[in-house]
Amino acid sequence: MKKPFFDRLLVAFSWGCALLLISAVSIIIGFLVVKGYKTINLDLIFADTRPLDGLLLKRQVFGGLFPAIIGTLSLILLAISFAMPVGIASGIYLSEYAPANQKWFFSLMVDILAGIPSIVVGLFGFSITIFLHHFFSNRIFPCLLISALSLAFLVLPYIVKTTQTAMESLPFQVRLTAPALGATRLENIIFVLLPTALSDIVSGLVLAIGRCAEDTAVIMLTGVVATAGIPKSIFSNFEALPFYIYYIASEYSDPSELMKGYGAALILLLICSGLFCIAHWIKNTIDQKQRFSY
Amino acid sequence: MRFAVKENLAQLFFSGAAVLSGAATLLILGFMILLSLPVLESGLLMNILTDPWSPGHGQFGILAMIVGTLYIAGLSLLIGFPISLGCSFFIQITSPHGPGKLLKKLVQFMTAIPTVIYGFVGVFLLVPVVRQVFSYGSGMSILTASLMLGILICPTMILFFSQSFARVPKNFLLAADALGGTPFQKLIYVIIPHAWPGLLTGLILGFGRAMGDTLIALMISGNSVMLPSSILDSARTLTAHIAMIIAADFDSIEFKTIFICGSVLYLLTSCGILAARILDRRQQG
Amino acid sequence: MKKIIVLAIILLQAGFCLASGLDAFKEEKGILRISGGTAHIPVMKEVAKRIMTFNPDIQIIIAGGGSGAGIKQVGEGLVNIGNSGRQATETEVKKYGLALYKWAIDGVAAVVNPHNPVKKLTNKQLQDIYAGRISNWKNLGGDDRAINIYTRDASSGTRAVFWKKALKKGEIIGRANFVASNGAMKSAVVNNPYAIGYISVGYVDSTVMQVTLDGVTPTLETVRTGQYKVARGLFSNTKGSAKGIAKKFIDYLLSPDGQAIAAQKGFIPVK
Repeated sequence: MKKPFFDRLLVAFSWGCALLLISAVSIIIGFLVVKGYKTINLDLIFADTRPLDGLLLKRQVFGGLFPAIIGTLSLILLAISFAMPVGIASGIYLSEYAPANQKWFFSLMVDILAGIPSIVVGLFGFSITIFLHHFFSNRIFPCLLISALSLAFLVLPYIVKTTQTAMESLPFQVRLTAPALGATRLENIIFVLLPTALSDIVSGLVLAIGRCAEDTAVIMLTGVVATAGIPKSIFSNFEALPFYIYYIASEYSDPSELMKGYGAALILLLICSGLFCIAHWIKNTIDQKQRFSY
Repeated sequence: MRFAVKENLAQLFFSGAAVLSGAATLLILGFMILLSLPVLESGLLMNILTDPWSPGHGQFGILAMIVGTLYIAGLSLLIGFPISLGCSFFIQITSPHGPGKLLKKLVQFMTAIPTVIYGFVGVFLLVPVVRQVFSYGSGMSILTASLMLGILICPTMILFFSQSFARVPKNFLLAADALGGTPFQKLIYVIIPHAWPGLLTGLILGFGRAMGDTLIALMISGNSVMLPSSILDSARTLTAHIAMIIAADFDSIEFKTIFICGSVLYLLTSCGILAARILDRRQQG
Repeated sequence: MKKIIVLAIILLQAGFCLASGLDAFKEEKGILRISGGTAHIPVMKEVAKRIMTFNPDIQIIIAGGGSGAGIKQVGEGLVNIGNSGRQATETEVKKYGLALYKWAIDGVAAVVNPHNPVKKLTNKQLQDIYAGRISNWKNLGGDDRAINIYTRDASSGTRAVFWKKALKKGEIIGRANFVASNGAMKSAVVNNPYAIGYISVGYVDSTVMQVTLDGVTPTLETVRTGQYKVARGLFSNTKGSAKGIAKKFIDYLLSPDGQAIAAQKGFIPVK
């Protein structure tokens, strides 16, 4: 029997769209790989400095990506260490403690925060810095700390939401066992609910890390610069991979600099897809273990 | 007794964190409005919302940027929506097993691609193509930015669409099957009537994502300050405008208007979120 | 004989290194923040690299932003040195108490893509292009393609000089594409065969073609002799007279080594 016309149309349309999207993504990634794979080597990262000297911070690396990579890593570390405790705690509160009306209000706030364009968050960070500079201490400048704090605001809603959803989706048997055995609310949360929901929370965290690694708009307004070297303290300016890519795309002065841009884009893409795979893997492996334990 | 203290402390800590997260949202809004106040008080608001941007002539209107933002976000939705719809059909309806799962993985992976990468590829691949094909302008145009943004917002929409398709109760679908409905009939008579609030929510979120993006517009839309008249004209978005003007003199009107831009963006996106929530509630019943 | 020459060269270089103006940075420590003019950046980067290699305890941070931003930020105390590609106005100097240090002379050249057959313009034509009165290369003897105008934002000193001295304060049409720096302007013109823009003469190389204006080609030579009129000084400004590392940095810029770097990056040294 031949399928009715509209059904064939539906199949054709959905296949068409799927192929279109797949080819768009492949073109974007393929373009970077084809143009950039040759640049991926130690020179790209350390330029003319000896890699070991650079890694041990014995010498400054000029013209390589090393300072940008270190900048991005420290940014991630700082931002996540601000956002993680607050985010997870808020998620726990929303799922375990909050009465319905509070829950409604706070999750609305979190949703709005998640929807705010990152440049507005950056503008907020920038204006706070200027405010502090004028009224508090003239030694406060846009810097790594400010960028990390602003980024923490940006990823906070992701962490809150994943924690909340992870906790709320736990089955009743898991929720009730420990209290039935005499555990308090807090004990139940710490020893039962959190560990059980951990896989989802961790994969949410890893995705938040990815967001920190890729965001450019926030840091552009809060302290990233084209040349700073390795940040010496959290109060200094810094370089970062995504900003470097943006900077090269608009400012490159010769083909070799442009090639570094391709290299940086590939490295950032690798980092972000690596993080994505880790998040996926955590979710899958831990989930499987749990399925056996019930 | 010590238990109780511990319990209360913990609750205090958790609720404090939640208050902090909620306060962040309001704090940002507060700051945007506070810093827009000088402009609002001077009675220049109408001028700023309607004038052209021409600092040389003392005009600091952001109308062109608002129009540019809506134009680019709207067009990218126009490009992204059908593709996303097709892909979510593919994932949920026409090939829900092998290929659909693979596509879903790819779409999830797309959320991990940095926006600056879209911008970078846009500058070096798409811009020259657009310039050659249309032989008009610099290739940096509304169309160029919208094409890239259209791809960027696909994952948001696809994931949301397929989620809301999946929420359609199973027994409705089984009933349709039992009556001999074809997939197309199921889609039109069962799934869409049930899932339309989800579709609309996905659209709104996609629009918000397109509107809030800075890098793609900044890198490939050309950033000119004229009211755009065709999709091949270059235009500047509110987000790109903030990124470009941030270096100006803090005392200047120029600088102060970027907080108006920030407030406008904030209000537009939070209205979107509110609408999305109301719709979402509707689908969940 | 050969060995002796090699030895002599090595000794010479060693001596050169020792006697370089960098010694002043020996005991210093801390952060030096620089922002502003984008034409300055290549020179700033090179000087920073030398200083930071010589003494790793010094961190020099270089940001762009444009001349306007440089002047404002140094005035507000956000950076130690604010660069500008135009002389700070009297109001700016008064308001912030700036000290101005001019360390090079530079021209601003209109540039087109090397593939563009139009390589000569009169001043009037340039003004007409930027005002939108001439909008197709065909009218100037080029291809039948629209002219893609590139310009900078109001913070740019390059724009200020170009607007005053080349466009004679004429209109710049709103349709123009906006870019944020000299580097960005150059890569925009390199990538677009139908573009016209303007950049610091120091940035001109074989990838872009400078436009001969009223018969004078903007080169180092014509800027030096004053034949090419669209010229300006490159300034580094500090709030009050320079102190500490900022002073040593500016001293180094004005030293023979610093001036040699400026010359090597395509600017005309002042000394």
